[in-house]
Amino acid sequence: MNKSSITQCLRDVAPSCVVIIPAHNEEEDIALVIAEIKQYGDFKIVVIDDASTDNTIDVARIAGATVLPLALQLGAWGATQAGLRYALRKDFTYAISMDADGQHLAESLPELLDPIIKNEADVTIGACTRRGSWLRKVAWTLMKRISGLRLEDLTSGYRVYDRQAIRRLASWRATLLEYQDVGVLAMLQASGVRIVDVEVNMLPRRHGISRVFYSWTSVAYYMAYTLLLSFTKRGMRHE
Amino acid sequence: MVALITGIIGIITAITIVILIRKDHLHVRYGLWWMVVAAMFALLGLFPALFDSFAKHLGVSYPPILAFTFGAVVLVIKILIMDIERSRKEVEQLRLTQRLALLESDLRDIQSQTTRNPSETAESQSDSPKG
Repeated sequence: MNKSSITQCLRDVAPSCVVIIPAHNEEEDIALVIAEIKQYGDFKIVVIDDASTDNTIDVARIAGATVLPLALQLGAWGATQAGLRYALRKDFTYAISMDADGQHLAESLPELLDPIIKNEADVTIGACTRRGSWLRKVAWTLMKRISGLRLEDLTSGYRVYDRQAIRRLASWRATLLEYQDVGVLAMLQASGVRIVDVEVNMLPRRHGISRVFYSWTSVAYYMAYTLLLSFTKRGMRHE
Repeated sequence: MVALITGIIGIITAITIVILIRKDHLHVRYGLWWMVVAAMFALLGLFPALFDSFAKHLGVSYPPILAFTFGAVVLVIKILIMDIERSRKEVEQLRLTQRLALLESDLRDIQSQTTRNPSETAESQSDSPKG
């Protein structure tokens, strides 16, 4: 299938998709992210505001998104799960998670949705293994070895989930996770969900700093947390 | 014998934590703390002489009392941290409950306006304040 056919297919399937964007203090980038998504189809766009202290809510609403304003800051995964619960409640067939900081390009949406539409995958991950420092690459290698996950980009938040995956991740079992990487992917893999990496381009963050790797203490905590989780979830199978 | 039992306690604790995290019954964040506890038990069990020389270095003539004192201090600090965390959760729960009541009240107002006058309600909803 050539790119224009894929793009047309995307426009046909867009009404059954919800794009969920967790956002914390992203007033500078969120409007542009929403505008770029709209160029690719009639998607429902939901911004989950993670207790921002700036004007993210107002900017997102003016840009045409539905906003779920969280009363407490839940972190990236808590906000994403709120979006997945919305997707389940409103009967969307597919949920697409994207970052609010402009790193994820809407132009990759056709390639991400294509394997799912063709029933070659249940979840696709927008993988960009070129990005990140040597430290991130060492961390990925360690996480893959310990968890047994057979994927390229474990930390990318640019994903498409089908209904089966949405149901799994909206459940209580996925609620206590702090990050959206190993724990989420291990849970999906244990359920027999087919996960496929799709190589995409990503931009560096335009404003602000990472909400996960903002200090050496946070990096150390993340590594300890993820390695323990990787070890405990290895080889799991769910019903 | 005591050292062997301590070592076994450490290993059993570690296995229990792994199982609890695997079944999603324990948050990984708390699991990290318990793994440190398990490691300390295992260390004491496997290398008791290490702790004895550490105690002698501090001038403690009876090393087990140092272990008990250290354990008691860690437990007190842990309980205090738990009470601080619980207080924060109580505040969050109270404010969430209040917010839920306020939202339900707003919803009832909107529903009763819709029942009374559908055409006026459509206009007023477009001017309603942000949530």
